[in-house]
Amino acid sequence: MSSAHVKPLGGAAAGNVSFLAGRIPPAIEIMSKYMKDLDKELFRKILKVVVTAIEGTDCCDALGTIAESCDVPEEKLSSVVAGMHELLRVALRLPPSTLKQEGFREDLRELRISEEYISDFVSVVFGSRREALDIVASQQGPQLPHMDDFTWRVDVAISTSCLGRALQPSILTQIQLSDGTRSHFQVSVPKFQELRYNVALILKEMNDLEKRGVLKIQD
Amino acid sequence: GFLVMATIIKETESIKEAVIHINTIDTNKFSRLLSRILQKLHLRVERSFSQEEEEKLQNALSMEKPVLSLVLETISFILEQAVYHNIKPASLKEQLENVKIDPEKAEAFCQAWTTSGPDVIEKIRQRIFAPKKLEHVGWQMSLELGQSSQAKLKAPHAVLQLGISGDDAEGQENVFVEFSHQELLDFYNKLETIQAQLDSLT
Repeated sequence: MSSAHVKPLGGAAAGNVSFLAGRIPPAIEIMSKYMKDLDKELFRKILKVVVTAIEGTDCCDALGTIAESCDVPEEKLSSVVAGMHELLRVALRLPPSTLKQEGFREDLRELRISEEYISDFVSVVFGSRREALDIVASQQGPQLPHMDDFTWRVDVAISTSCLGRALQPSILTQIQLSDGTRSHFQVSVPKFQELRYNVALILKEMNDLEKRGVLKIQD
Repeated sequence: GFLVMATIIKETESIKEAVIHINTIDTNKFSRLLSRILQKLHLRVERSFSQEEEEKLQNALSMEKPVLSLVLETISFILEQAVYHNIKPASLKEQLENVKIDPEKAEAFCQAWTTSGPDVIEKIRQRIFAPKKLEHVGWQMSLELGQSSQAKLKAPHAVLQLGISGDDAEGQENVFVEFSHQELLDFYNKLETIQAQLDSLT
């Protein structure tokens, strides 16, 4: 590996943060070298596959197809794919408030990527698909199971073996969690009120937190 | 019109025998016995008294074990019937006198029922027939600032802890569910729908 580059990147305008934080990862550097050898169509095919991979779909087959149909040596192809993946991963990690479009373009120019390829990268990071990519990213962190499905039924017990006239309502609940587990239980009316009250309380706390500009944490 | 209460305590052989023994009990002791049985009536236990307690009762009431068992079962049965039919104290007294319970004891039944009856009925009414019940609701709200795939987040998250008890002595099972702000809002809207259903019942 060549001597550690501390190559200053970043837009000419002051205040633009270099999205690579001062050091170019080797994968990206190699990629930018090989990019010149790719024709536009191939580049776009690879970009499409890389974005699909970031979205979470398995892309082995798609990449295999590309490898077979073009005459770029496998090693070069792998480097380009790795570089593009790394570049997008790092860029997508930063919120649009931190990494602005112009700054990103400038950074890519510094990497000596040609203008038309820059536009393609920009459309991934700042385009319509960004929201969907963000959702996928948010689900990748460590987390507890989320609620996939919540079904319920309100029952009124008319009579039981102990009480001729009970007329007692209760709620039967089934929760399906994202980890596949299912919970089935009954909630008495007072407990239900407690649950509802607590959820409302948490929502209020969340609203307050979001309004208060969050403990002065700056972007 | 004049409402006649159906007979809820039929004079079977077993009842006849039990009544004879019940009538021998000192009225004060009897009142205390009634209170105690009423206290535990809503619990789904086989016997209201422990082995030890029963032995003490045998002594206190001068009864052999089989006789004591019959007496306790009969008193429980009478009270369970009272609960089932949501009987008024006056009617209860009448029914008891019909099976030849001493007026003093019938009065003691009446008093105990007046005092504790409504409470016991309410407890039993709230006892739900379900293998699992929600017992505990806990929660934690936190602010996510970042993770390996996303930097500079300011996303509030909530974790709900649902403590669910089994019917047997399985203890509590905790279910943890995480919510984003939007997910929690969606959940709350579902709870509001349920509430509307409950409101329409009253």
